[in-house]
Amino acid sequence: MNDPQDKELIAKARKGNAQAFEALVNKHYGTMFKMAFKWCGNESDAQDITQDACIKLARGLDSFKGDAAFTSWLYRLVINTGKDWYKKHNRHPSGADGLETLSTKSKSEERLYAKQVIAAVQDLPDGEKEALILVMSEGLSHKEAAKILDVKESTVSWRIHEARKKLGAQFAKEQSHG
Amino acid sequence: MDDAQLKKILQNMDTPEPNTEEKKRAVNEAVSEFKAYQKEKEKNFQGMSILSRLMGNTNSNNGRNAMERKTRKNFIYGGMATAMAVVLITGISYVQLQESEILRDTADISLINRSPDMTAPAGTEAASQEYIDVIQEENERNVEIAETTGSSALPTPIEPPVGVRTVPEQEYVDAIREVAPKRAQLQSAPMPSASSQQRRQEFSKMIKNLDPAQADSTFLPTPIDDTVQNTYQDEGRDKFETFEPNPFKMVSEEPVSTFSADVDTASYSFMRRQINNGRLPQKDAIRVEELINYFDYNYAVPEDKSQPFKPTVTITDSPWAEGKKLMHVGIKGYEIQGERPSSNLVFLLDTSGSMNSPDKLPLVKNSLKMMLDNMDDNDTISIVTYAGSAGTVLEPTKASEKTKIIAALNNMRAGGGTAGAAGINLAYQLAEQNFDEDSVNRVILATDGDFNVGISNHEELKGFVERKRDSGIFLSVLGFGQGNYNDQMMQTLAQNGNGVAAYIDNLNEARKVLVEEASSTLFPIAKDVKLQVEFNPDVVSEYRLIGYETRALAREDFNNDKVDAGDIGAGHTVTALYEITPEGEKTSVDPLRYGNADEPVEEQKADTDFGGEYAFLKMRYKLPNEDTSKLITTPVTTENEVALENANIDTRFATSVAAFGQILKGGKYTADYSYDDVIELAKTAKGEDEFGYRAEFINLVRLAKSARD
Repeated sequence: MNDPQDKELIAKARKGNAQAFEALVNKHYGTMFKMAFKWCGNESDAQDITQDACIKLARGLDSFKGDAAFTSWLYRLVINTGKDWYKKHNRHPSGADGLETLSTKSKSEERLYAKQVIAAVQDLPDGEKEALILVMSEGLSHKEAAKILDVKESTVSWRIHEARKKLGAQFAKEQSHG
Repeated sequence: MDDAQLKKILQNMDTPEPNTEEKKRAVNEAVSEFKAYQKEKEKNFQGMSILSRLMGNTNSNNGRNAMERKTRKNFIYGGMATAMAVVLITGISYVQLQESEILRDTADISLINRSPDMTAPAGTEAASQEYIDVIQEENERNVEIAETTGSSALPTPIEPPVGVRTVPEQEYVDAIREVAPKRAQLQSAPMPSASSQQRRQEFSKMIKNLDPAQADSTFLPTPIDDTVQNTYQDEGRDKFETFEPNPFKMVSEEPVSTFSADVDTASYSFMRRQINNGRLPQKDAIRVEELINYFDYNYAVPEDKSQPFKPTVTITDSPWAEGKKLMHVGIKGYEIQGERPSSNLVFLLDTSGSMNSPDKLPLVKNSLKMMLDNMDDNDTISIVTYAGSAGTVLEPTKASEKTKIIAALNNMRAGGGTAGAAGINLAYQLAEQNFDEDSVNRVILATDGDFNVGISNHEELKGFVERKRDSGIFLSVLGFGQGNYNDQMMQTLAQNGNGVAAYIDNLNEARKVLVEEASSTLFPIAKDVKLQVEFNPDVVSEYRLIGYETRALAREDFNNDKVDAGDIGAGHTVTALYEITPEGEKTSVDPLRYGNADEPVEEQKADTDFGGEYAFLKMRYKLPNEDTSKLITTPVTTENEVALENANIDTRFATSVAAFGQILKGGKYTADYSYDDVIELAKTAKGEDEFGYRAEFINLVRLAKSARD
């Protein structure tokens, strides 16, 4: 399940090899940053969160045991770090200021619509948002997402169901108006 | 909206590409944290008192020695996950573990429970269903409340230490079994199911069973890695702009040379530090003009500040190239007499984890304390830090309230990551809040490397600093530490912020920059100082500007007041050296066989006779609060000529420093001029040398002789 190169780097880093650790962080920074961005919807927060997550990784790597994919484990690290980060800064993720940078690759009307959907996703309760991002955007199975979020598979399914319900209600309404 | 649509939107959601500067910074912070962690691990092992007690008759010193006698293959040390329950088997000579790989890995287990912030997915046993349900319910309820009240909710995670039992991973248990000779003993050793009390009993039984004679050869666990250093050390990531020394230029082709003044000294102190460590600095770290300008020279001083400086020009023979001459241009800025303007200083201090080494944050603190002693009571100081979160450590405070300022300094600690854009914004905010048109308003940044303050794009940051400069707030940069030092970034910032970039490697340097030269560091007397030299083709056939490679300006920039250039503070000296080949001497560049086609030779020259003139020196500068430049000109004639041994000591000393800098940079033009020649020349030019800087220089040249490349 794990990339052999990752495996080697992780093993070396856990023995205290700083170069291996550096290579590992270098390699996965992009993934972590993208995840953080999707989670908080704001570039500068995502950068700070990713940096914090990288720092946590320095101490946390010892507790990665290779029973799950390293990237899944990183998702979890990023999400937990993000939560801590907002707790510490005493605010809640809001995609609002980052929204300008969010766009889709489609036409402008659709784009506007997508923007609204993404903003609505950002406003979902954390649990639902995370489940939705992991499953819908990262393409993980409910089971994999459950592992990352440390909840039961059924909880993930339930959260996605809830999220869909909320988004559905909101956008059915708006579409009929608009 | 259906699932497919939602999926499409979420998958197509544009995420920006990670910013490379941000990435570098994150990686650097993480690596320094990693190293700190490795060190802690090492300490934790050495500090495990339970081990040394159990070692019985060996004291810890013996233990270490034994370890150093590399008997480590004789034992296996396994820390079971539940903290201190340590399994120890010693003195078994037939265990031949070549490298203590296993030892290290198993040792790591004992740390799992201590790693903060992290859940322990490895070998965990799920909490009871009831427990999970309770938290789940609680979370859902919170969400509902949040929804009705319009607030937000953070779910309680279901993770250790609550509700999850940690068990050692099978792979480690297996590893131990595989190599352990006393298999039976191990199998009866504490297993996850046993209670901790049982484990302790088992454990002490095992220890008692050990043969005391064999126990002699026991030892403390090895450090995690032999490469772990005692202090945070970060090598090879110092960043310098790459550049080649200026080449010789034919006067017939390019008679005009233009450059910006530079009073920075960072390159000198960085070079000093490297040489004192027994290494030659990397070539790109050497900017010859900064080496020369590190020293104070006694050039003639102008009488009043309406013309803040006047140039002193001397021409001598070049000591390293026969037939060539050196044209030595020196400028000394007007010294502020009597009352100096009050200052409004905001210190922006990097307190991120990487600053946690004696030559960084502690040195910053001591430097500031020293500076404080020399400030006027009316000066205002504020301190902003950035790390973890940006914060005002000290609101604008009068320098007279020393105790308050010192207390604020003492309370700063290095640690954590960086908070982002907040730091620099906050610093400028404080400076603006306290802005006084008659004072010097300046933000002083102290950092060890990456200017990690959130605006990560160089250009964007430059623009930001420039805009603030135009509003009257200047920026100076003080560099600290080594290994992660971002010289290029510091230069760019200080240049665009009308400030000085200095590198502080020790307290003495801090005293030089912040106390002794405080007035030049802090009080600008002229800005955008540009120099232009036009050589007379009848007298000079070629020239080469020594240093200033990174300060070159285009010929047309000289008269363009929009083009930014270097600034000069009160009492600053700026020295520039040209090596010139007089007409008729052997040139370094071959003359063109067919001549310069479009050159309207002969006729023009007949008009005026500049026979005695080597060159014509022009300088432009603006007074600190003006936007239009003023011009100073002076011809350089044979009257400026003097034999090197008769030249004044400043000229000779600057020449020796120039030679040294060029040798360090590869010696492309200095032929076989040696370190010894530099020493000889410098020795004759030491002068009074009140603070011993020149003596120190001579000593550095001696050290350079034996330094590694």
